[in-house]
Amino acid sequence: MWRIRMHGRGGQGIKTASQMLGSAGFYSGFQAQDFPLYGAERRGAPVIAFTRISKDAILERGPISSPDIILIGDETLLNDPQSAPLCGADPSTVIFVNSDRMPESLASNFSVTAVNLTDLCLQHLDNRMVYSSALSAAGARLLGIIELPDLLQAVEDELTGVSSQVLRGNLNLAREIFEIIQPAVISEKANSPLIAKSLVFPQHLPVVDGAPIILDPGNMALRKTGNWRVERPKIDYEQCNNCMICYARCPDGVIRTAPDGRPEIDYDHCKGCLICAQECPGHFINTVRETGMFP
Amino acid sequence: MKTSKKIMLTGNKAAAWGARMAAVEYVPAFPITPQTEIVETLAKWFADGTLQGKFTNMDSEHSMFMAAGSAGATGVRVFTASSSQGILHGMESLYTITGWRTPMVIVNVSRALATPLTLEPDHNDVLSTRDCGLIQLHAETCQEVFDFILMGYRIAEDADVCLPVLVNLDGFYLSFTREPVLIPDEEEVRSFLPLYTATQPVFQASRPMARASAVFGGATYTSFKLQQELACRNAENCFNRVAQDFEKHFGRLYVPVEMFHLDDAEYVFVMSNSFATKGKSAVLKLRQQGIKAGLLKLRLFRPFPGEAIASALAGHAKVAVIDQNLAPGMGGITYPEIVTSLYACEDRPDKILSVIGGLGGKDIDDQDFMAIIEHLDKPDSRTPLYLYDENDVSGFNRLQQIAKLKEAIS
Repeated sequence: MWRIRMHGRGGQGIKTASQMLGSAGFYSGFQAQDFPLYGAERRGAPVIAFTRISKDAILERGPISSPDIILIGDETLLNDPQSAPLCGADPSTVIFVNSDRMPESLASNFSVTAVNLTDLCLQHLDNRMVYSSALSAAGARLLGIIELPDLLQAVEDELTGVSSQVLRGNLNLAREIFEIIQPAVISEKANSPLIAKSLVFPQHLPVVDGAPIILDPGNMALRKTGNWRVERPKIDYEQCNNCMICYARCPDGVIRTAPDGRPEIDYDHCKGCLICAQECPGHFINTVRETGMFP
Repeated sequence: MKTSKKIMLTGNKAAAWGARMAAVEYVPAFPITPQTEIVETLAKWFADGTLQGKFTNMDSEHSMFMAAGSAGATGVRVFTASSSQGILHGMESLYTITGWRTPMVIVNVSRALATPLTLEPDHNDVLSTRDCGLIQLHAETCQEVFDFILMGYRIAEDADVCLPVLVNLDGFYLSFTREPVLIPDEEEVRSFLPLYTATQPVFQASRPMARASAVFGGATYTSFKLQQELACRNAENCFNRVAQDFEKHFGRLYVPVEMFHLDDAEYVFVMSNSFATKGKSAVLKLRQQGIKAGLLKLRLFRPFPGEAIASALAGHAKVAVIDQNLAPGMGGITYPEIVTSLYACEDRPDKILSVIGGLGGKDIDDQDFMAIIEHLDKPDSRTPLYLYDENDVSGFNRLQQIAKLKEAIS
């Protein structure tokens, strides 16, 4: 069995990528299974999706903890302790990163492929950053067991309802990525004997700990959601007239009034919803693409 | 001067008196037959100043239980009551507020569930809340209703428990039935059940807190649910502690399961709530005929006192579990619980018969009890045994003819 885990953000097409790869595996004559995992969050929040492809019946469900391939659609997630895209990776794990440079800290420990999918997406998809076709193509090619026509069929089937122009772009994108990347060497994971978990009998706690009670307000400040941003709102202070409508409209309360009276964005917590840019009456808030940083 | 008094009260009035003597401070209410008399009585007492606090008519049982849980989280003593369809309508809230771990006492007046719609009792309503995480006490008499409410607050408010307690009484057979109830002296009640002081952080205007946080991830969810489980299990020891203290103050001792002529019994009826009185009467009559019968009454139903039940039933040859409820396709709801508690018991009964009776308030009479004895003696009787006879069939047929009268005429 091949186990593929994909990491990305809400809105980047990660779930669809896992489904395209699942369908491609299925069309190539294998058993296949795919599954996404996300919470009650929204665009920009970390998303994980899983695809299993196997010659035999798949007797697994749910998250993949020891993946053969990890596909990282958004390199900024490498910094995110909650997403933890490298969790469960060992030296045999094949890692793919959407990036224009080879992250050295990764390359020393793992077999890593880095391709700048973002630029290819922008080029093929009319300036959109949706990685579903690109990431599934990368996964299919790294696996080395999926034929290109099966991948293209899967892309087409999973994109039912899009315009013919968008479909053509996605097919071209998948084809190009399939050609750029070379199949990886994936070693079969050895079966180790089952070891019993050591279970504990829970201890009764006082209700203040035993019930889901939060006594300390304001602890959201500890959860830095700034790296959810795909695009950054940037106030043009040359033009801004301090009307503070952005401050009033920000759904997360991350725009404050600076001592000099200007609105100021807290980039540690701004999730990049860009409502401020939409609401600014003079259109004085610009949007700038975020570029990733490695740890 | 002690001012205890014995007065004639319905089960509903006894429940209202329980809340009154507990000095409840907040009652969210919604009427439903056969429970309405409880909240009507409390409404009057709040209006005339007998009770200090707030009585609020809600728009539904769903809101009512949410209001009860929220008020509990502000640190006041909360009481509310419902029945039947009302309990079902509030079901989502019941699961929710037990997770909040705020103490309160809820009275359920049992009434069978639609369809067909009816008003008389069986226990499908209260047993539907079996898995909510509530503590459940089932009452046989109006005195037990009153006493269990006082004991209920002690258990609900115990720092080891912090869960709602539900006290159950049968509609009609107890709710509208008057019998003498001893209302103890108020000072004596206060020394048993002091005015409420919360043992946990409570909502205050100056101190924001979250009380019902969402979690993502099974491990965190499991941690909180296991805490509910432990707290609920703690309630069995707590019940026994509180019962001993109750006896000290008021002279009545309640054990989790009541054993009636059980010592030498060869035939045991397992029953709960008001029909247990009928079972006790049958036991006495059967003994006069030389049949060694006995009865085990379930009082504490959640947490389930499995060990107490097993040790009470061990060594008795023939047991009939009489369920006044029906899980279609399965049978009685309490039967598998009783059987499970006996599984590891070496001298468990030779025969444990499942009996379904008393649905929708259908009477269980002496002849029914005798029929159960006969079936316990048969080598292979079909299970479950339905208490349903020729008279019921002919009455039903007569009704069917009336329902089809127009069709018959045309």
